[in-house]
Amino acid sequence: MNVDVLFNPNSVAVIGASRDPGKIGHVLVRNSIEGGFRGRVYPINPKCTEILDLKCYPSVKDVEGEIDLAVIAIPAKFVPDALRECGEKGVKGAIVISGGFSEVGNVELENELKEVCRKYDIACLGPNCMGVINPLTRVDSVFIPTYKMGRPKLGTVSFISQSGAIGGAVLDLMARQGFGMSKFVSYGNGAVLDETDMLRYIADDDKTRIIVLYIEGVRRGREFFETLKEVTKKKPVVVLKGGKTAGGAAATKSHTGSLAGNAAVYEAVFKQCNATEARNLDQIFDFSKLFESQPFCSGERVGIITNGGGLAVVATDSVEENGLKLAELSEESKRKISENVPAYVNIKNPLDLSGDAGADRFGVAVHSMLEDSGIDAILVGVLFQTENIDSRIVSILVEASNIKKKPILVVCPGGEYSEVHSRMLENCGVPTYTSSAHAIMALRKLVNYSKFVNKK
Amino acid sequence: MRYQEAVALLKRYDINFVEGSVVRTVDEALKVAKYPVVLKVVSDEILHKSDQGCVKLNVKDADSLRKAYLEIMSNAGNAKVDGVLVQSMAKPGLEMIVGGRRDEQFGPVILFGLGGIFVEVFKDFSLRVCPIGRDDALEMITELKAYPLFKGVRGSKPADIEAIADVLQKVSKLLYENEQINEMDINPAIVYGKGYCAVDIRVLP
Repeated sequence: MNVDVLFNPNSVAVIGASRDPGKIGHVLVRNSIEGGFRGRVYPINPKCTEILDLKCYPSVKDVEGEIDLAVIAIPAKFVPDALRECGEKGVKGAIVISGGFSEVGNVELENELKEVCRKYDIACLGPNCMGVINPLTRVDSVFIPTYKMGRPKLGTVSFISQSGAIGGAVLDLMARQGFGMSKFVSYGNGAVLDETDMLRYIADDDKTRIIVLYIEGVRRGREFFETLKEVTKKKPVVVLKGGKTAGGAAATKSHTGSLAGNAAVYEAVFKQCNATEARNLDQIFDFSKLFESQPFCSGERVGIITNGGGLAVVATDSVEENGLKLAELSEESKRKISENVPAYVNIKNPLDLSGDAGADRFGVAVHSMLEDSGIDAILVGVLFQTENIDSRIVSILVEASNIKKKPILVVCPGGEYSEVHSRMLENCGVPTYTSSAHAIMALRKLVNYSKFVNKK
Repeated sequence: MRYQEAVALLKRYDINFVEGSVVRTVDEALKVAKYPVVLKVVSDEILHKSDQGCVKLNVKDADSLRKAYLEIMSNAGNAKVDGVLVQSMAKPGLEMIVGGRRDEQFGPVILFGLGGIFVEVFKDFSLRVCPIGRDDALEMITELKAYPLFKGVRGSKPADIEAIADVLQKVSKLLYENEQINEMDINPAIVYGKGYCAVDIRVLP
C-alpha cells in the first residue's frame, strides 16, 4: 500500500467538487488553488463542467491523465462506488472526508469501504476525517477555509490526530505560534489506515524530527505498543490521550482490576514506550516546542539567569518540584561573570543580574553558562517591564540558542510588550513560556527523554 | 480458578509461596499444622475472606486451632466451601501486592504496589504491559511513592530489591503465557532483607 502518495501526490481528484462556496467540495478545490498545490487538480462532479476555472469531469474514469490521490466528499452511501471507480482508474490513495460510517453505527458500509480498498490496494484515510496537510507539496485536504484556520509554515513537527476538531484547533494554534510543520494527518475512523500505520510512516519520514500524537483509543493495542516503542528510539513522540475516564475499570473483582483501569494502562504504555505524555492541549505546545527547537540534555542541572529576584526564587521552586537540580557555577564562570557585571550582583546560581540589567549582562551570563560543564540546561527569566530591557535582548538570546549546545528556555511573563518579544523569540526558534512552572515541567520531559536517548 | 490450581501455577513459575495444605476436617488440620499457623477458608464464593471472619491469624496450638476452624466454618455460612487452608505463619516483613489484568487492547498488564490495605487507600502503584525485563521491574519499584520504605527508613533493613524484580518478571511471564487469566492478585507477598514469599493468591479466569 502506497501511504506516501497521500502526502506527496502529483495529481489530486476532488470527488464531490462543487461550485457552491458553502460546500466542502468547493473549499477543497479552492484550498488546493490558493494553497499553491504543486500538482494537477481534477474536480469531479457529473453536474458541472467547470469549477474555479478548472475543467470538471463526470467521473475519475473520464480524466485522461493519471490520478495519484482522490479526496472524497460525497454522501456516505455513494462512497464505496466512488472508491471502486478510483480502483478501476488506478488511483493509489484516497482520503474519505465523508462521515456517516461506523461512528454512527453504520458498520456494514465501513466494511464495504474496507473491502474495496483492499481489493484495489488503495491507501485510504478516514472515513470521517480531515486528511492531510503537507506544507512542502501543499497538498491540503482540510476542508476549512484558510481565513478561518491558518496553515503552519514548513518545519519539522508532524502531527497525527484521530480527531478532526482537535486537529483543526491545534493546527490553527500551531500556525499562530510559529510552529514549523512537516506533515499533518487526521485519520478519523481509521478503517484502513490507523494510528499505528501513520506512526510507522511518519517515523520513517526524514523531514520529521518530532511527532505529536492525539488519540482517543487505539485499534490494534499490541501493535501500537510495539510500534511506539520502536518509534521513540528514532524520534521523540509527544502524546495526548483524550477520554481518560474510569469507565474501563468498572466491573472488576480484584484489586488489580479496579486500579489498572483504562487511563492507568495508557499511562503505563506511554511510560514504557518512552513517549512523552501531555495531559492537556497546552502541554502539547509546551513540550513540543522545546523538543523541536532545542538539543537534548546531558543531565538535570539547571542554570537560572534573570533580572528579577522573585522570578529566580519561583524558578528555583519549580526546579526542585520537578526533581531537577540547581547547578553550581564553576570558578571559571564566576570569574567571567563577575568581570562583566557590577559589584552588587551576587554571583551564584540562580543568577539575579539585578533590575537594571540590560541585554549585555544577559549575554555574558548565558555564554558563561553555555561553556560551564556543570550546567546541563539554562532557564532565562526576562522581565521585559524593567527599564533597560528592550528588543536587543532578542538577538542575544537567539544567537545563544542557535549554538545548540544546551537547551535554553525563556520565561517572560507579562502583557503586550512581553508578548511581542516572546513571539519574536519563538519565530526564531527560542521556546518561551509565561511561567517557570510550565517551562520547567517541559524541561523535565526533555531531560527524561534525553536520558533515554543517551542510554542507547 | 481454584486456590490449589492457582498455587500450582505459581510453583510452575518458580514463585515462592508460603507452605500450606488444604484440609476438610479438624482432624486433618491438626495433623498438618506446624504452629503458629494461619487458617483461611477456601471458597470461590467468598471474595473478602477477612471481612467475613474467615481468616484466623497466628493460631498457636491445637485448642485454638479447633476453635478457629469451627468459627471459620460458621462464618462462611451457606457459601460453598472447598476446605480450609492451614498455612505456616509467614515471618513479618514488608507487604506487597503483585497483580495482573488482561487489558482489552494491550493484553496482560502487571501491577506492583505496597500490599494489604495501602494500595487501596493511597493508590500508590506502578503498572506495565507484559512481558517486562529487569529494567522495567526496577523502574516499577523505584517509581512508587513508598519506595523509601523498600530502601529502609529509620534503621529498618532494606528490602531485597533484586528479589522483587525477580518475582515481578516471573509473574509477568506467567501472565503473558497464560491467556486464560483475566485478573490476578498476589496480595500480600512479603519481602525480607533477603528473599520474599507470596502469602495469598486469587486468580479470576
